[in-house]
Formats: sequence, structure tokens, C-alpha cells
Amino acid sequence: MISRLLIQNLAPIDAGDGNTFARRRKLSLAFVGIGILALLLFGGLTTPGFLTLDNLLVIVRAASITGIVAVGMSYITISGNLFALSAEELAVLAACIFAYFMGAGFDVVSSVMITLVAAVVFGSIQGVVISRGADPIITSLAFGALFQGLASVVSGNKQMLLGSNAAEWLGTGRPLGIPMQSWAFVILALIGWVVLKKTRYGRKILLMGANKNTAQATGLNRTLVVIVAMSVFGLCCALVGISGAAQFSRATATMFPGLNIDVVAAILVGGIALQGGRGSPLQAAFGAVFIALLQNYMLLHAFTSGQRMMVIGALVVASTLGYHYLQGKR
Amino acid sequence: MHRSDLLRMTSVKKSYGSLVALKGVDFNLREGEVMALLGENGAGKSTLVKLIAGLAQPDSGSIEIGGRSVKLRSPQHSLEAGIAYVSQELSIVPSLTVAENICLGGHVHGPFWTDRRLAAKVKPYLELVGLGDVDPSSFAGGLSVAKQQLVEIARMLSRNAKILILDEPTAALSDVEIEKVLGVVKKLASEGRSVIYVTHRLGEVFEIADRVTIFRNGSSFDPVEVATLDIEQLITSMLGRRLNEMFPPRATELGKPILSLRNLRVAGMESPVNMEVKRGEILGFAGQLGCGANAVIRAIAGLNPVLDGSIAMDGKTVNHRDPGAAIELGIAYCSDDRKKDGIFAGRNLVENLTSTNLNRISPGGVISAAREKATAEQLAQQFNIRIDRLQSLAGNLSGGNQQKVALGKWIGISPSILLVEEPTRGVDVGARAEIYRHLRVLTEKGLAVIMCSSDNQEVLGLSDTVVTFFRGKIVRQCEAEAIDLPALMRDVTHPETNSPGVAA
Repeated sequence: MISRLLIQNLAPIDAGDGNTFARRRKLSLAFVGIGILALLLFGGLTTPGFLTLDNLLVIVRAASITGIVAVGMSYITISGNLFALSAEELAVLAACIFAYFMGAGFDVVSSVMITLVAAVVFGSIQGVVISRGADPIITSLAFGALFQGLASVVSGNKQMLLGSNAAEWLGTGRPLGIPMQSWAFVILALIGWVVLKKTRYGRKILLMGANKNTAQATGLNRTLVVIVAMSVFGLCCALVGISGAAQFSRATATMFPGLNIDVVAAILVGGIALQGGRGSPLQAAFGAVFIALLQNYMLLHAFTSGQRMMVIGALVVASTLGYHYLQGKR
Repeated sequence: MHRSDLLRMTSVKKSYGSLVALKGVDFNLREGEVMALLGENGAGKSTLVKLIAGLAQPDSGSIEIGGRSVKLRSPQHSLEAGIAYVSQELSIVPSLTVAENICLGGHVHGPFWTDRRLAAKVKPYLELVGLGDVDPSSFAGGLSVAKQQLVEIARMLSRNAKILILDEPTAALSDVEIEKVLGVVKKLASEGRSVIYVTHRLGEVFEIADRVTIFRNGSSFDPVEVATLDIEQLITSMLGRRLNEMFPPRATELGKPILSLRNLRVAGMESPVNMEVKRGEILGFAGQLGCGANAVIRAIAGLNPVLDGSIAMDGKTVNHRDPGAAIELGIAYCSDDRKKDGIFAGRNLVENLTSTNLNRISPGGVISAAREKATAEQLAQQFNIRIDRLQSLAGNLSGGNQQKVALGKWIGISPSILLVEEPTRGVDVGARAEIYRHLRVLTEKGLAVIMCSSDNQEVLGLSDTVVTFFRGKIVRQCEAEAIDLPALMRDVTHPETNSPGVAA
């Protein structure tokens, strides 16, 4: 499946003479593909229990959590707005909102809808601020603090129980043997890819990221592009928050530790260019799979959470430097 | 020769990507002379100067100073070799004193200094450039532009420079100030220093230069003694071709007025603007940097706010406020910096050419590959872009092809007015003629073009109507037939002077 996706993604950009950009994209996709295969092989050979069905399911589910958000974040990066560093906080807030309404006796569908709408609103507010020219990193960092604070207030810093297990299937269900989160991940990644490559909105994201000034001069509406990208991001965070709350039948204000850095790592490892205008949600998805594999490998080898965070941090530094270097060789 | 060659460059080549800036140029400079460099924009003179100043390195060829072969790898290297470069953009720090500015980056003081010690050190250099009456402890920001220019020269002299490069030092100066700078240049040369003087003003060549090297299209001619030249010969050598070979014939018949500006006031123009553009007309704005022509163009493009007066299309006042509104009205704008806001360098030509017209290629929001291809190919054909390059990234094209893409992307929305700044900046001669032809073909279909350019021949050769600008004022508006090159050059550099031989 991986190799087929690789080929599909490469076909439309097979370009003519001297096309260094396209060549580099092929390279970065090949890198992460090879990285995933190498990690699978290495992990399987050195780690008992790594390639068991149970463990692979754990990996797939973990990859899905990071991956859903990474796919949502990829539009922000590709449109030239770097990252939104409020993923963790928005997911936590969504979990708390979901738990609040479930706990208050609302049915599953209403609670999900309310949570999704709230998250889209929270996402688009950030989009409004960023589209006014504010720095996306600072803006999302500030909103992250705001969301985290709001989640603490809503939850009273205590566990919020869902009250019933009516929503449990959202977190633990496995239609056709595959976890719900993973269905969502794969479907979102494919939709995200098709929208980017085949729709007017996707084209606007790419052009905006390729050159903000030219985009403005040709009359493309930056405000709309950024707000929609941030809304999609909010939606993806909410999906993660809901599935997390449903899985454990509770929400807390510290549910998704390290999600922000994992998502950033996934985008970077997937090879999406930080300056925007290139890349696809599929790259973010592959990046997320790689990060999940790495995290799982470290868990099985009894790395402490501190050690794992150090490795991911080092990986982000290394890939940032790596792409910076590649870009410099243009 | 009674004077020895101080600097000698032999078959120097330099390319930037696919653009060949210097195709094997020879150059020499004698001790104690003023050598003028003349040439059109992009002819190669600024590239040559950059090589001497150590700001760029030649691809091949040799540079000798005083008979010894040298490699000038950085501005620091050049300074050590006795070469000082004063660029068009001054590097004076306004918040430092005159003395501090002169000592900036140099080694004329020890670890400790006082204002008085600095002042004493820089006094002789100030006197050298005729600024003996300026207080070294005053702030440099308080000086006139001409005096700042001279302070910059004094700074270079304090580094013991034997060769001074002055890049259009008088572009932003008034007549009296120009006299002062020219006087200093003459004096420095008479004291044995060599000066390389880059200029657009033919008059200055006759006034101060001993010899002149003319650049055309990346090559240079052998230096000529100025005393043996007249201004007509100079112009012919610079152009190297008859104008009518380069430019398409003018419009024989113009349509109805489409755009009119009435008492339009915008930032950057001192006086209100009144003018009219007809369908099928190419209106050319001539002027140097900061003359106000760009301010008018950008106001029409919706980028500069209209302070007063009106912009009317087909008789209706529009006074739009942003580029989006201008596009809706059928006004397309190509800036003078296509890499910045004219093309999407990292996307392919198909996406570039269709970027203005996404609605047409994506009915219902979904991009139709067939429509996209058809639209792009039609535009490519119209602008003579090879179909097999449509998948290439715009950033990988030559300057000329990039410019065709920057222009071509607008044609898809069938604009009624096309605004172009510097239509052929960084474009080689062959592609230039092609771009001129494309613009003319567009006007033959009823489009109106307003272009501004600092390339005077271009304005004169391409336009039906010429408007000359000087420092925020319109000097003249007339049919292109009614003005010649010397008059146009005088308008944009020196409208106060009337004798073409002195300041053309």
C-alpha cells in the first residue's frame, strides 16, 4: 500500500528538465518510506513482540492519533504558515467539552456535533488572527495556553467521566479488525490529498504557500485560505480528542502529552517544506507512521518518557537541519 | 601610453543561472584617470563593478592590479587591494556622527577614543572631499544627500583606496550638489587616484571622464578617449542597433478612452495627475528610481491609496481600494520584481498560467484537468512558450520566459488594462523584442497597456504616448513621435537644463 501511494503521489509531478524541486520531493518521500521499512525491519529483528499483530495494532492506533492531527496541520504548513502549536491543547479541550456534554446526559451524536462545531470555531478564530498577518507560531502558542486554561476550568482539574459507555465504540471499535482512529486517519489522509491536488481550494493553498505576494497580486483570498486551513486543523484535533475521551470513558486536562512535538516531527520527517507551497497530507501521514514506529520501538526497549522526548526532539532538530541543508543546495 | 594600467581585466565571464551577464569582457584602468562606464540596463556594467568590488566572483578570466594577478573573493579583499566601492544605496548610519561614520569598520582608532580624537583623525579626509566646513561631531543624518555621499567617499579615502568605484553617485542629487560631487571626483583624480564612474547621464561623461568604456549586451568595447567623441556617437555605440529593429510598429489607430485619471493625488507624486489611456494604446512612463511613475501605476493597480481626485473607467469613477477590486475591473498588474510577486517560482507553468483564473478551470470547485491543460496551452501558444516546458517549474526558466509567464497569466482573464513595471528587467535582448511584440499584439486586440521603465529607449521605442517623470512631477506628455532620445533623457534626469549636450 505504501509503495502504491508513493507512486500515485509521484505521478503528477514527474517533470521535465532540471526540475530540482520535484526531484527533492521524490527524495523526501523515498526517505521516509525507506525509514519506515528500515524501522520495521530493524525493530522486528531486534525486538521480540514488535511485529506481532497486537503490537502492530497498537502502533497503527498511535500513528492514527498523531496522523489525524498531522494531516490537519499539513494544510497550514503547505499554505506557508508553518505550524499551529495548539494541537495538544485543542484536542484536550475538545475531549473535555465532549465529556462535559456526555456527562450532562446528551446523546453521542449531539455531543460529537457540539464538540466538532466548537473545535472548528476555536480553529477558525486562530485563522482570523493569523490571516491579519500575526505570526502563526506565536498566535497558536497563545491560543494553546488559552485552550489549556479553558480545559482546566471546564474540568476543574479533575477527571471528567463520560457517565455512560455509549460512546466507547468511538474509541475502541474495530470495524473489519481495524481501529476506528485508523479508519479516520486513512480516510482523512486520502480526502486531504484529493482536496489538495484536485480542488480549487487545494490549488489556492499550494499557490499561497508557493508565493504569498504573487497570490495576493493575482487576487487570491488569503483570509479564506488560512481560516479554512485552521478550521480543518481544529476539526482534526477534535476527532482525536473525542476518540481519546471515548476510549477511556473520561477526559482530563493532560490527556495528550507530547502531541504537538510529535505532529511537528511527523510533518518534518514526512518532508513537507517549511516555506510552504510543496508537499501533501500523505507525506504528513507517512511521517506520523514513522514517529509512531519509533515511539513504540523505544517503549518496548523501556525508554523512559524523558528519553523518548529527547529522541523526538533530536529528530526534529536533525530533520530541520537536513531540509535546511537541502534547500541551501538548490 | 604615458600612464601605466593600474587595473586590468582580461576575458572575464560571469553568468547568473541562465542569464549571461558578461561574455568575456576586457577592461583596463589607468592611474589617475576617471573612467566612465556607460550602457543600457542589464548591459553588464554593474556586474563588472561588482566583480571589482569583490561582491561577486568571475566564472573565468583574470584580474590584475599593478601587474599582479589577484583574486577578489570578498569586499574585504578588494579593500585591502586598494579598491573602494560606493554603491547607489548609501551605507551612512544617520544616528552616528560624521566622524564615527568615516571610521566605521576601519582601523583608524585604537581601543579607546573620544569625539575630539576621532574628529582630528577624520578632518584631513573631510577636507579631501571638500567638507572642511562640516563639524565631524554632528550627526550624519542631518546632512544633505550629496554631503552624505561625500562622507561615504571620505570613508573610502580613509582606507587608503587607490581605486574608487562610484555607482551612479548623482542619481538622487540636484544640479548644485552634482557640481560639488563632480568637483571632488576631478580633484581626487588629479591627485593620482583612479575613479570608475558608472552613470546614465551622458553629460557627466563629457564633464569629468578621461575615457569611457561602453557596455552592450554583456560585452564591452575598447575604452575611448572622451575628447575624441561626440554625444551622437556615444548614443549609437550604446544602442548598437536601430530602434526600429527592436520594436514593433506603433498603433495606427487608437480606440475609445478606457481609463482616465483626473486630478489624481497619490503619495510619491508632488503634483496631481491628469491623463487618459485609449484602447489599443501603449502608454509609456519614463523616469528614474523614485520619480513617481510607479506610484501612479500602483494607484491604478489598487495598491497605493488614492488621496484625492479620481480614477475612471469607461467614464465611471471607480477609485478601487485593493488589488482584488482592480482585477474585478479588468486591471492586471505586473510589478518590476517578478520573483517577488509575479510568478510562483516553486510551481509549474500550468499552475502559474491558470492561477489568475482558477474559477474557469475548476467548475464546481473541482479542477478539471482538461480545462486546465487547454487554458494553459492556449496561453502558452499565445505567448510563444514551449508546450513541452509547461510541466517545468517557473523558477527554473530564464528571465525572459519568466516574464512571459508573469504577463501571460493575466491574459486568461482578458483584462482591459495591463499595467507593467520594467517589462524587460533582467531579460536578454532576444526575449525583449519578443515581449515587445506580444505587448503590441495585445493592444491590437483592444487592450490598453500602461508601462513604466527606467530604460529610456524602451519607453521611446515601444510607446504610442510618452509621459516623462522627474521627482514626483510630470515633465511632459506627448506622442512618442514628438520626442527624441536626448530630449527624453534630459526630461528624466535634468529637466531644468536645456542644452542637450551638457546633460542629456
